[in-house]
Amino acid sequence: MQDGLPMTTSRISRLQKCIAILWPSFLTAIVATGVFFSAFDPDDLFPFDADPEISRLGFYTIGFLLFWLIAAVSGIGTLYFAITNCMRQGQGKQDD
Amino acid sequence: MTSPSTKGSREPQPDEQLEQSLYAKRQKIFPREVHGLYARLRLAGVLGLLGIFYFTPWLRWNGHQAVLLDLPARKFHIFGLTLWPQDFIYLAFLLIIAGLALFFFTALAGRIWCGYACPQTVWTEAFLWLERKVEGDRMKQQKLDAMPMNAKKLRIRATKHTFWILFSVWTGFTFVGYFTPIIELGQRLVQFGLGPWETFWVVFYGFATYGNAGWMREQVCMYMCPYARFQSAMFDKDTLIISYLPERGEPRGSRKRSTNPRELGLGDCIDCTMCVQVCPTGIDIRDGLQYECIACSACIDACDDVMDKMGYQRGLIKYTTQHEMTGGKTHILRPRMVVYAVLLLVVMGIFAYSIGTRTSLGLDVIRDRNRLYRETADGLIENVYTLKILNMDKVAHRYTLSVAGIPGIELFTDMKDIEVTAGDVMELPVRLRADEAELKVRSSKVMFELVASDEPELSVQEEARFLGPR
Ligand code: SF4
Ligand code: SF4
Repeated sequence: MQDGLPMTTSRISRLQKCIAILWPSFLTAIVATGVFFSAFDPDDLFPFDADPEISRLGFYTIGFLLFWLIAAVSGIGTLYFAITNCMRQGQGKQDD
Repeated sequence: MTSPSTKGSREPQPDEQLEQSLYAKRQKIFPREVHGLYARLRLAGVLGLLGIFYFTPWLRWNGHQAVLLDLPARKFHIFGLTLWPQDFIYLAFLLIIAGLALFFFTALAGRIWCGYACPQTVWTEAFLWLERKVEGDRMKQQKLDAMPMNAKKLRIRATKHTFWILFSVWTGFTFVGYFTPIIELGQRLVQFGLGPWETFWVVFYGFATYGNAGWMREQVCMYMCPYARFQSAMFDKDTLIISYLPERGEPRGSRKRSTNPRELGLGDCIDCTMCVQVCPTGIDIRDGLQYECIACSACIDACDDVMDKMGYQRGLIKYTTQHEMTGGKTHILRPRMVVYAVLLLVVMGIFAYSIGTRTSLGLDVIRDRNRLYRETADGLIENVYTLKILNMDKVAHRYTLSVAGIPGIELFTDMKDIEVTAGDVMELPVRLRADEAELKVRSSKVMFELVASDEPELSVQEEARFLGPR
């Protein structure tokens, strides 16, 4: 399948695709986590009875990972559309 | 339809060549060790910054950790200052200041941030140092790399990675130590009693350090760094850059030390490729200014050394500006610099002012969620609230609470004195009662006011809703 792609996209290595998805979403997730949890205390959102210290850290962590996941999914979408656009344009050029 | 890869030996188009160079499989780079003025400066930067990073969490201040961004307790302690989630705006301010400072210094001195202060550079230097200690110099590293895997190679590699991993874990531990008290964290660590989330962050940050500084290195600068992409927008002809002087160096070529290069028709560059060998990003500065160049100045040191050995004047590669290179003069005071500087000073001024005059009292009003209102035995309408009183001051205070907004509204609490110790939050249930006749609408506005009894300027107001049947 890789061979069928124009050179431009097939040459973007898997590592670089991973970076392009995981890295910007990571930065976004940090900002989102900071803003979200400075506005909302997880203790108010989901009151917890167990060891409160760890639980709060746990909620921050889960929140961060969720934000990261959401942003990464959006990044996958962006990359997918960018690549498929690229493919279409690449094929268009060859048809000329 | 034929795809390019089946077309056989077709000459790559120019933009494809660019793509190829951008996405070519990474050549492993073995930067040669450099000595010289800038190497010493960088070492000072690296040691200073690493020292600050690893040492800060251990500092004490008035009996607590001096810098503790206490996430579990939702309080940031920075020496004498305590910040609360409400103070998030200050963090935004700090980020703006950092951004403006970066603009300012980039316009002034180019990518000095990259070469001397960026965590990526700092940790990569530390990892390179460990690597050199274990594997030896550049030649030995290259030889080891080319060697097929055998017991010796395995042993050396394992040693290196062990050191790297230990260092990374320590880094991750220090990182978490900024967010939870580090002494207790250390005690839990040696007892293998770290909580799951702490463990996660130690491993996560440690792994990021190991990956970025051990494996990715210059690739982080080339593919992941946003600053590297947009810094050129802040460059102008007076920005400090590192450049090779082609008029002086070309035509390059090897020669004996004793010969006069002018007679041979040669420039000052002896084509020894030292500048390429020391470059952590593996580029040749003689090809001109390139975005991969992190302005680490390793090539300056290397070439100066060569020039000394040849008995030529130093500075074939040097810090310069485009104006200077084209024979002009460098202007430091230029509109761009003034604008950045003024913006920076203004934002810093606002920041300092707002920190200095911040009220150290916070009030949150939360309505009782279970019931909108209640009618009391004597026919009044009652609403129940929980007040969160935050004393962000460094001393305890006693407060007087009042409410206004509806004529004749009365306030009841179970607590006679509202006293909150320094840096504490108090939850105070209160009931408001008002005569139904005074309620014009279903939801009326009421205003709570909290005043410190001993310090009338220390006050805060908070709006709330009073619900009635109408
Ligand atoms: S180190 Fe100096 S002399 Fe040697 S190749 Fe580079 S520019 Fe030329
Ligand atoms: S070209 Fe010189 S200054 Fe630029 S990254 Fe390489 S060694 Fe450092």
